[in-house]
Amino acid sequence: MTDTPNTTLEWIGFIAEKYSDLFIRGTWLTLLISVSGTLIGFVLGYIIGIIEDTKINKEDNIIKKAILGLLKVISKIYVEVFRDTPMIVQAMVIYFGIKLAGFAIEPIPAAILVTLLNTGAYMSETVRAGIKSIDIGQREGALALGMSPISTMFNIILPQAFKNIVPEMANTFLTNLKMTSVLNVIGVQELFLMAKTAGGTYYKYFESYLVIAIIYFVLCFVFNRIFLFAEKKMSQQKNYGLAVEYMENTQ
Amino acid sequence: MTKQSENEIIRVEELSKSFGEHQVLRKIDFTVNKGDVICILGSSGSGKSTLLRCINQLETQTYGKIFFHGKELGKKQKETNEYRSKVGMVFQSFNLFNNKTVLKNCMEGTRKVLHLSKDEAHKRAISHLKSVGMAPFINAYPSQLSGGQKQRVAIARGLCMNPEVLLFDEPTSALDPEMVGDVLNVMKKLAGENLTMIIVTHEMDFARDVSNRVLFMDKGYIVEDAPPSEFFTNPQHPRAKEFLSRFFSN
Repeated sequence: MTDTPNTTLEWIGFIAEKYSDLFIRGTWLTLLISVSGTLIGFVLGYIIGIIEDTKINKEDNIIKKAILGLLKVISKIYVEVFRDTPMIVQAMVIYFGIKLAGFAIEPIPAAILVTLLNTGAYMSETVRAGIKSIDIGQREGALALGMSPISTMFNIILPQAFKNIVPEMANTFLTNLKMTSVLNVIGVQELFLMAKTAGGTYYKYFESYLVIAIIYFVLCFVFNRIFLFAEKKMSQQKNYGLAVEYMENTQ
Repeated sequence: MTKQSENEIIRVEELSKSFGEHQVLRKIDFTVNKGDVICILGSSGSGKSTLLRCINQLETQTYGKIFFHGKELGKKQKETNEYRSKVGMVFQSFNLFNNKTVLKNCMEGTRKVLHLSKDEAHKRAISHLKSVGMAPFINAYPSQLSGGQKQRVAIARGLCMNPEVLLFDEPTSALDPEMVGDVLNVMKKLAGENLTMIIVTHEMDFARDVSNRVLFMDKGYIVEDAPPSEFFTNPQHPRAKEFLSRFFSN
């Protein structure tokens, strides 16, 4: 047996080392849930955002109108419900709800599902704001060329909206990374639950949670730098060279 | 129903448009023939831009009909898209695609709407950009151009579609005076090439020298429809007289 640590600092080192496997596993799971939940959630958010932005055309046929109308109602309810309830409660309701309905579901897929649904609800609002941030003139410019509203959306509006909401998307991801900690309530072995386990053996909760605080901080710090870098890259104004081959005798 | 002449491209019948309680256009009737260069004049708020936007179907009229080659415009999105590909529009605020280079701006419509090959679209874009003097700027983004340059690109973008009619909604109103000439020269050249154009403008000299017809609008009505020689020397309607005297007094 090694000596038991004496100071708090020693305890932190001791816990981190002894339970390094747990912490590493927890970190991976936290990343898995937040990355996959966020990415799929983004896609969902875009779909909802576009649905909400699409106007029902009086001239469309009745089936198209009915489908679009139904989609709009469903997405409205969905966004409202998920924005007005806490994620920790959503996790419980969804996890136990699925089980109650008689389907087997593991905690990890359930955790990803909760994260993506939550992300989708918030992202849809962000996407809508991003679409609104592109001046109506560009849309009219495209329509006046004869481009369809859908083609206009995908070729002109969304690429620019995307660029404008990158900071908000980064924000959402960082929020998710930290919010996965509440998913311990459905038994997902992410970082928070690992810290609870590790701390429980020696009743060293402060030390154990401090270890994961540092892990969360480092993860967020690193991702934040990456996002800032990407954002800078994207907004860089490229210098253009004059196409000299088309220069005529300039006055 | 009036009889349709062979040269007729667009005919507008009893076109009316209201925004809520506010009636902007009142029973507008006029015909656009091939080769026409029509300038629409009038004070702000007289309905000029709305008329142009109705012709392009960016606004839907409340009442009345628009005919394209004698056929009433369809209401389906597909029909509208096809019609718009033949009736181009140049805007006061240019409305270039900010995420695309000058070249890509001019290839977007020909690629996505007319489905031209890349080479063909490229060739067209270059030739029209050359004609407006913007070919050296193919790799620039709109934000890197001046207003006059942007507007010339926007004109080239419209021309790439080989439109039958090109609509201009105050194309020089957002430009500083030095740039106005460049854009007007391009438009003058187009008129010389027999492009059919409808131009909402405040450029009186341009209207007098280049157009073959002037429509003067007041409170949503076309109150005068005359060749420029008549309109500028002998306006009939009191509002037109007032408008012109104010313009030429300073």
